[in-house]
This record gives sequence, C-alpha cells and structure tokens, in this order.
Amino acid sequence: MSRRTPAAVGLAVLGLAMAGCTSTAPVDTGAGGPITVAAADDACDVSTAEAPAGTISFDITNGGSKVTEFYLYATGGRIMGEVENIGPGLSRQLIVEVPEGGAYETVCKPGMVGDGIRSAFTVTGSAERSVDTDTRLAEATAGYARYVNSQVEALVPKTQEFVDAVKAGDVEGAKALYPVARTYWERIEPVAESFGDIDPRIDGRDDGEPGVEFTGFHRLERDLWQDGLQPDSSSIADRLMADITELAGRVPSVELTPLALANGAKELLDEVATGKITGEEDRYSHTDLWDFRANIDGSQGAIAALRPVIDERDPELGPLLDERFAAVDALLENYRDGDGFVLYTALTPDDVKAMTEAVDALGEPVSQVAGVVSS
Amino acid sequence: MLGNLLIGLREGLEAALVVSILIAFLVRTDRRSALPKVWLGVGIAVAISVGVTLVLTLTQQALTFEAQETFGGVLSIVAVGFVTWMIFWMRKAGRSMSSELRGKMEEALAMGSGAVVLMAALAVGREGLETAFFFFAAAQAAGQSTEPLTGFLLGIAIAVAIAYLIYRGAVTLNMGKFFTVTGGLLIFVAAGILAYGMHDLQEAGILPGLNTLAFDVSAAVPPDSWYGVLLKGIFNFSPATTVIEATVWVAYVAVVLPLFLRPQRVRATATA
Ligand SMILES: [Cu+2]
Repeated sequence: MSRRTPAAVGLAVLGLAMAGCTSTAPVDTGAGGPITVAAADDACDVSTAEAPAGTISFDITNGGSKVTEFYLYATGGRIMGEVENIGPGLSRQLIVEVPEGGAYETVCKPGMVGDGIRSAFTVTGSAERSVDTDTRLAEATAGYARYVNSQVEALVPKTQEFVDAVKAGDVEGAKALYPVARTYWERIEPVAESFGDIDPRIDGRDDGEPGVEFTGFHRLERDLWQDGLQPDSSSIADRLMADITELAGRVPSVELTPLALANGAKELLDEVATGKITGEEDRYSHTDLWDFRANIDGSQGAIAALRPVIDERDPELGPLLDERFAAVDALLENYRDGDGFVLYTALTPDDVKAMTEAVDALGEPVSQVAGVVSS
Repeated sequence: MLGNLLIGLREGLEAALVVSILIAFLVRTDRRSALPKVWLGVGIAVAISVGVTLVLTLTQQALTFEAQETFGGVLSIVAVGFVTWMIFWMRKAGRSMSSELRGKMEEALAMGSGAVVLMAALAVGREGLETAFFFFAAAQAAGQSTEPLTGFLLGIAIAVAIAYLIYRGAVTLNMGKFFTVTGGLLIFVAAGILAYGMHDLQEAGILPGLNTLAFDVSAAVPPDSWYGVLLKGIFNFSPATTVIEATVWVAYVAVVLPLFLRPQRVRATATA
C-alpha cells in the first residue's frame, strides 16, 4: 500500500547524512573560547574584532526586546554565516568556517530589517596552515613507523644469528654478535616497552627480583662472558628468539602519536643517562657504548620524523637540536673501534663526565619537543 | 515575550497549515482511515528534527551554515512538488467523488498513501530543524528565565489554533467551495515555499542575487509585526524579496493557477 514510505525514510536519512558530512569539527571551547556577541535593540557588541582563519564561533545573546539576527558578511555582501530568529533573552551559537583572512563584517539586525548594526571584523592568516600541520603530523608518525619497521626487520635475522651461535656453542661468535643484535633493539626500545610484558623478558637484568625468571639478552650475556654456557642456555636462546618474533608480529599494531614520538625520543636519552653512561646495562660484556649509540640513533629518528612540524612551530628549536645531537655524535666517535666501540671499562671518569654533560645538554631541547608538537 | 511568541507563531503556521488542509481534505472525502498516516509523517519529521538537534548539541558540533540553508532550501523545493501534487490530487479526487466513482477513489488513495506520509513529513520537517534549534536554545535559557520558552510555546499553540480554525472553516465549506478555496490557498502557500527555498539557496551561495531586490516593503510590513508574521507564516511572504524569489513566485502562480481553474473544475463542482 504505502509504496512511497521508504522514500520518506530515505529522504530523512539523506538529510541526516548531509548533516553529518558537512558539520564542523568539534568546537574548541578552550583557549579564549568563542567570541561573544551582546545583541540589543540598538547595540551589537562583539567581544573581539579579530580572529584567526579557520572555524570561528560566535555566542550571540539577545538582551533586547526584538527578535534579532546575526550575520558574518564577507566583502561584497556574501554571507559567511547567519543565525536567524534569536528571540529576546536567548543565546544562539554561530559556527562558521572562514578559510581566508581578510576584511569581514559582523551585523546584528534587530527586528530583522534594514542594514543592521555593522562592525568591521578582521580575520587573520589562512586556515590552510593548520590543515598542513595536521598532514605533517600524520606524515611524521607514518615516517617513524617506517623507521621502526625497518629496525624490526633487521632485529629478527640478527637475533637469529646470535641465537644460532649460542646454540652451536660458538662463544666467540656469539660475543661478537651480541652488541650487533642489540643495536636494533635499543633503537626502538620505547616502542618495545609499550608491550609491558615483552620488554622484561627480552631485556631484563639480573637484579635479583624474586619470582622473576632471568631470561633474554642479559642472561645470555652473563653466560657468555662470566659463567660460561649453561645446560639451559640453548633453551633461553630459543625463548629470546620466540619473544623477538612475537614483538615483530605486534609492532605493526602499535598506534603511534606525535606525542608518543616526542616522549620516546626523550625516554631514549633517559635510558642513556641511567643505563649506558653508568655502565650498568651491559655489566658483563661492557658493550654499553654500542647501546648508547643505538639509543641516540633512535632518538634522532623520532625527532627527524617530527622535524617539519618542529620547524613550522618553533623555528629556533630545530637548529639547537642539530647542534646538540652533533656534539654527542662527535664525542661518541672518539671511542669508535673498528665497526664498534671501545669497552666501557676503557673509559676514564673524565670521559664519562664529558658524555654525561653532552647527553644532559641534548635532553633539554628534546624535552621541549613534546610541548611543541602537542600545542 | 512577544518576540518569541511571534517566532513560535510563524514557525508553527509554516508547519501546520499544509497539514491542516491535508487533514481537512481526508476528512471531507471520508478517508479518515488515512489520518494515522498524516500523524506518522508528522512524527517522523519531529523525531528527525529533535534527533539531529540533540546529536549536534551533545557532540558539541554544529551544522555549517551552508548545510543548514541547503537542507532547508532543498526540502522546501521538494515540499512544493508535493503540495502541487496534492492540489491536483484533491481536484481529481473531488471530481471522481462527484461522479460517485468511489472504487477509483480508493485506488487513488492507495497510490497516494505513502505520499500522504511524505507530505506531512515534508511540511513539518521543512521548518523542523530550525524550530528544534530555537526550542533547544529557549529550553537552555529556561534556567534564567522561562519567558522565552513560554512565549515560543504560546506562539506554537496559537499557530495550532489558527490551523485548526482553517481546518474547521474548510470542513464547513460546501464541497465545491472547499476545493476552490483550499486549492487556491495551497497554490499561494506553495508559491511562497518555493520562493523561500530559493532564498535559502541564495543565502547558501548556491544561487546568486541575494542582494538584488525586486521590492522592499519592510517599512510598511515589518517582519516582527503581527501581520508580517501571519503573512510570512501562511504565504512565506518576505517584505524584502529578491528578483529570483519574485520571479519563481509569479511563474509558479501563472502556471498552476490557470491549470487548477480549468473548465472541468467548474463542471465537476457544479454537479457536486
Ligand atoms: Cu522559518
């Protein structure tokens, strides 16, 4: 019978869909909040005569006795937005997209007639800038994700080589492979740490925590350098490989945010300061400088991904970061030995002090990055 | 108080007028069984209007201005199509009734029963979103002062009362006059809705000429006067009318009115 009823429903859905795809982004009520307009029968007081391009919102309150309307006009009388039927005693909101800076006019029309009460309104800048920033932030996380994936791709086979050497009883070969495999791990440690369960199994140290089984890289380090290979060394090696494989499978699902990148860059420097510079991390092999180098690489990778956004928002921060990273790099290069580095035991207290100072100096601008990308 | 009352009156009339004539027609032609379809259409429109307003408010979003105007404009133009269809449907049904062709009449209603739902939905939905926004603002202000809300609801109540009077008047007319008067009224209502829809599209920037006025009688007919409100509520008359609005209004009336008043019409009512 009612063959056309579906059409009615269809029209309604169309209306809702239209409402959905042309609605504005959530209104930012922070930082200054919306512009208030006090409308009356003979007044139209706009709280500010200037706003940056983008989404501009007006809160109009009609304190008069006549029904009023509020308009934002562009030059030539083009309506950017309007709210009609603002009854006496009522507040209505106008949210309008203004992509271009320039001269505009705000107008109240008490009684809904005539030219109304007009004031000049200036829109500054262009909204394209913020769109660009969003795109750059998305590119930053995508770029860092590629970096992480490339490290994981190397981590798996390098760990396999190390594990194979351990299981073959090739102590010298395993010792040579140990810092190499760890390099890829240390570069992406903040991402790995986001899996709270995996990190302790792979990178835990024998700090005698009761109930926690000592496994992973450092357990094999102790076997190789101090205790000699144990009856269970092979099975520990297998578990390390299984854990690394699990990590590799889970990394692609990590949701990276610009803020996580910035915090990760800082965490890596903290790792250097608390573990590597003190020689605590690799207490049997003393290959701490390899990890040091990898942590700095990882931090630099995250900062590099964010660099376009940093340059846009704080032009002085980027060059400062470059300078401080270069100072740490230069210092580290003094301790290079072939493909790797000298052992931690070869460092003098003065060497350690110089490196501590360089890392602290680097940590200062790196810690500013989170604030810059999240503002 | 008065300002908000007049808004309620105008929005209420815009929504209720077509519905009341539709109901009068169904009652006059003994089709009360189709009345639930009218209320279904009204209910759908109200639910959508309130739903959209609530969703937008709860999610702290707002329709962009262009979307609101495009929505209103497109809905108005679709509504004109249905009102026009209703005018000729009534005319044909009135004729077949006078010829005692009741079987064919039922057939016509069967064809049109979905359209009855849709028409009631359009008549109310066209103004519904705007009204819901206004109602929401008035309800939020109710903490400080219930005056705006009271005025607005009073205005809607008066609109419903006027729509009811039009309905009563239509029902008491004899059959011949009923079709001529309500049909003629609907032609002018539809012409006004069409012009109003054009105005919305001009405001949305889809059509040009927003500031090219055909006439401006705002001084003689202030939009916030009671007669300005009635003219706007019933005929969508705008005191400041653009050239495009005036053109489509004249074109619509010039085409539809002669068709409606064609000679068969006279013969049909003569035998009623
Ligand atoms: Cu309206």
